[in-house]
Amino acid sequence: MTTQNIIEISGVEKRFGTFTAVRDLNLTLKEGEFFSLLGPSGCGKTTALRMIAGFQDHDAGSIRIGGQDMAHIPANKRPTNMVFQSYAIFPHLNVGDNVAFGLRKLKLGKAETDDRVAEALEMVELGGLQSRKATELSGGQRQRVALARALVMRPKVLLLDEPLSALDKNLREAMQFEMRRLQQKLGITFVMVTHDQYEAMTMSDRIGVMFKGQLKQVDKPEVLYARPCSQEVAAFIGGMNFLDAAVTGEVNGKLHADVQGFGPLSIDVNPNVARRGPQLLAGIRPEQLEISAQKPDGYDGYLQGTVTNAAFYGENVHYHVTADGLPQPIAVSVPNYFHTVDHKQGDPVWLGVQNASVIDLGAREA
Amino acid sequence: MAGFLRTEAGKGLVLSAPASLYVGFLVAAPLGILVAYSFWTQTYVEIDKTLTWANYLEAATDPLVRHLLLRSILIAAAVTAATVALAYPIAYFIAFRTHKKTLWLLLITIPFWSSYLLRVFSWKLVLGFNGVMNSALISMGLITEPLTFLLYNEFAVVLTLAHAWAPFAILPIYVSLQKIDRSLLEAATDLGLTKLERFIRVTLPLSVPGIIAGSLIIFIPTVGDYVTPSLVGGSQGKMVANLIQVQFGPANNWPLGATLSLVAMASVGFVAILFVILATALGRRIR
Repeated sequence: MTTQNIIEISGVEKRFGTFTAVRDLNLTLKEGEFFSLLGPSGCGKTTALRMIAGFQDHDAGSIRIGGQDMAHIPANKRPTNMVFQSYAIFPHLNVGDNVAFGLRKLKLGKAETDDRVAEALEMVELGGLQSRKATELSGGQRQRVALARALVMRPKVLLLDEPLSALDKNLREAMQFEMRRLQQKLGITFVMVTHDQYEAMTMSDRIGVMFKGQLKQVDKPEVLYARPCSQEVAAFIGGMNFLDAAVTGEVNGKLHADVQGFGPLSIDVNPNVARRGPQLLAGIRPEQLEISAQKPDGYDGYLQGTVTNAAFYGENVHYHVTADGLPQPIAVSVPNYFHTVDHKQGDPVWLGVQNASVIDLGAREA
Repeated sequence: MAGFLRTEAGKGLVLSAPASLYVGFLVAAPLGILVAYSFWTQTYVEIDKTLTWANYLEAATDPLVRHLLLRSILIAAAVTAATVALAYPIAYFIAFRTHKKTLWLLLITIPFWSSYLLRVFSWKLVLGFNGVMNSALISMGLITEPLTFLLYNEFAVVLTLAHAWAPFAILPIYVSLQKIDRSLLEAATDLGLTKLERFIRVTLPLSVPGIIAGSLIIFIPTVGDYVTPSLVGGSQGKMVANLIQVQFGPANNWPLGATLSLVAMASVGFVAILFVILATALGRRIR
C-alpha cells in the first residue's frame, strides 16, 4: 500500500530573539498517520505544532501540507484544524454553535450545517447536546466539543496540543483509546504534542522525540522503546538502568562488552545510535531483569546484590538492588502474579539478564 | 452576646453594619424623605402635608417637563454612544496591542488629576466665541467670522461630557477585553475566520458586558447632570436636572422638585433596563 506524504517539513528553524526554539526540523508524515511529538516542556514541540498550524512563522526551511508550500498561507487558510490545550470553547456560544463556528463561514446553508454539526457531535458521543451551554460542560465534554469543532471542518491534518493533559487519569485513558479509534475510522492525519510518554506510546503510529529544539528520533513506539538512539531518549521513555561497559570486540553486528556489575555480555549493535565514543553505555529495562533469592538458571549475565528498597505498585513490584562497585542501585520491576513482595529490604538477591535485553546506547552523555 | 458574635450570622452582621448604616442613613432615608415630599404641596412658606398626586399630575402634563426629560435622555444617550465608540478602540489598543498597559492606564486617568469644573471651563475656553478653536481657524484663514455653533448648545454638552467620561468607558471595556482567553482568538482564526470576522464573532460579543457596564456608568449620571449643561449648554442645552435645581432653589417648590427627581430616576431606570436587555439580546444573536 502506498500512501501519500501529507506533511513535509524540511530544515525548519524558529528563533525568538537569540533563543532558537526549533532547529533544523525535518519530518515527513504520511496520510492517515497518528504522529506524536514527545518531549519535556520547553523542548519546542508546541512551537513546531504552531508553525504547522500557521500561528507562528518559520524563520528558515519549508513546510508543505498536501504538497502545497505554506510559507505565505495564513492560519485561517490552512487545511489544518487544531484542538487547543485549553480547548478554547467559545463561552458565549452553546455546544451546537461552537461546533458550527467554522461551518458558518462556509455558508453551507442551514440544513447542511445542522447535519454536519449533528454528525460531528454523534461522532464524539455528544449527540443531541447542541443546545447545552458551553459553561455547563465537564472537562471531558469540553474536550469532545473541541474535537468535534475541529473535525467538522474535515481538515487534512488535525493538530492536537496536549489534548488530554487537563483531564483526570481515568478519563484520560478512556479518551486515549477513543481518539485512536476516531482517528482510524476517519483516516485523518493526527499530529499530537504531548509530554506524556504513555499517551504518546498508546496512541501513535510513530513518535518524534524532541529535546532542546531538536528532533532526536522518529520511530514506532516499540522501536523507540527497544532501540532508543541516545541516553536522553532512553531516559525519557520508560525506566532504564544505565551501565558503563568496556567494548572488547565486535563480531557479526554484536558488541562484546564487559558490562558494569554483570560482566561480559554480547550486545546487538543498535542502528539508531547517534553518537559513539570510546566507552559504551549499556541500558537495561527494569522489567527485563530476573530477580531471585537463588542464582537463576539460563541467563547470560548475573549480579549479586542487596535489596535496598521494595515498593508495591499494584500491577508490579519495584526493587532497588545495590552491589559493590555500582554507582547507583539497579531498578527491577516484577509483575505482580501472587500479590506478594518476595524480597525484603536487606535481602541478598541474584539478578539475571539475557544478552538480548541489553541495549546499546552509544556514548554516555555528560 | 459574645457567643452570637462568633457565629457566621453574627460576623456577617458586624462586618456589614458600617455599610448598612451608611446606606441606610445617607441613601435610603433621604430617598424616603424625597418620596414623602413628592406627595406633599408647597403653599408659599409652608408645606402642606396632605397626601396628593397633584405633583405627579403636573409632571405628567407639563410639556416642559416632558421636553426636558426627553432631551436629557437623548443627550445622555448621545454622550454614552460617543464615549463608548471613542473608548472602545483605546481599550482594545491597551488590551491587545501594547505591553505597557500600566503606563497607558495611568495616562488615561490624567484628566482626573484636575477638577471637573476646571475641565468644563477649559472647554469653554476652547469652544468659545473668542476661544482657541475660533482664533485658530480665523488666523489660518479658514473662516472669517467666529463659529457660534461650538458652544452653548447640545453639541458642547455632548463633547464636554464625552471627554470627561472617557476613562469610565475605557476601564470596564478594557477589563472585559483583557479577560478574553487569547486561545479563543486563535481558535477562531484556526476555524477560518479573518481578523475582522473574528472581531465581530468573538471579541465583540465577549466584550458586551464591558460595553454595558461602561454605558450604564455614563448614562445614569449624565441624565441627571446639571453642572455641564448650565456651563456649556446655553438655553437649548438645558436638561431635566436644571429644572429640578430651579424647584429646590429660585422657585422654592420642593415637592415638585422631589417629584421630578423621582420621575427622572424612574425614567433612567426604565431606559437602562431596556438597554441592558437589548444589548444582551444583540450580543447573543451573534453566532
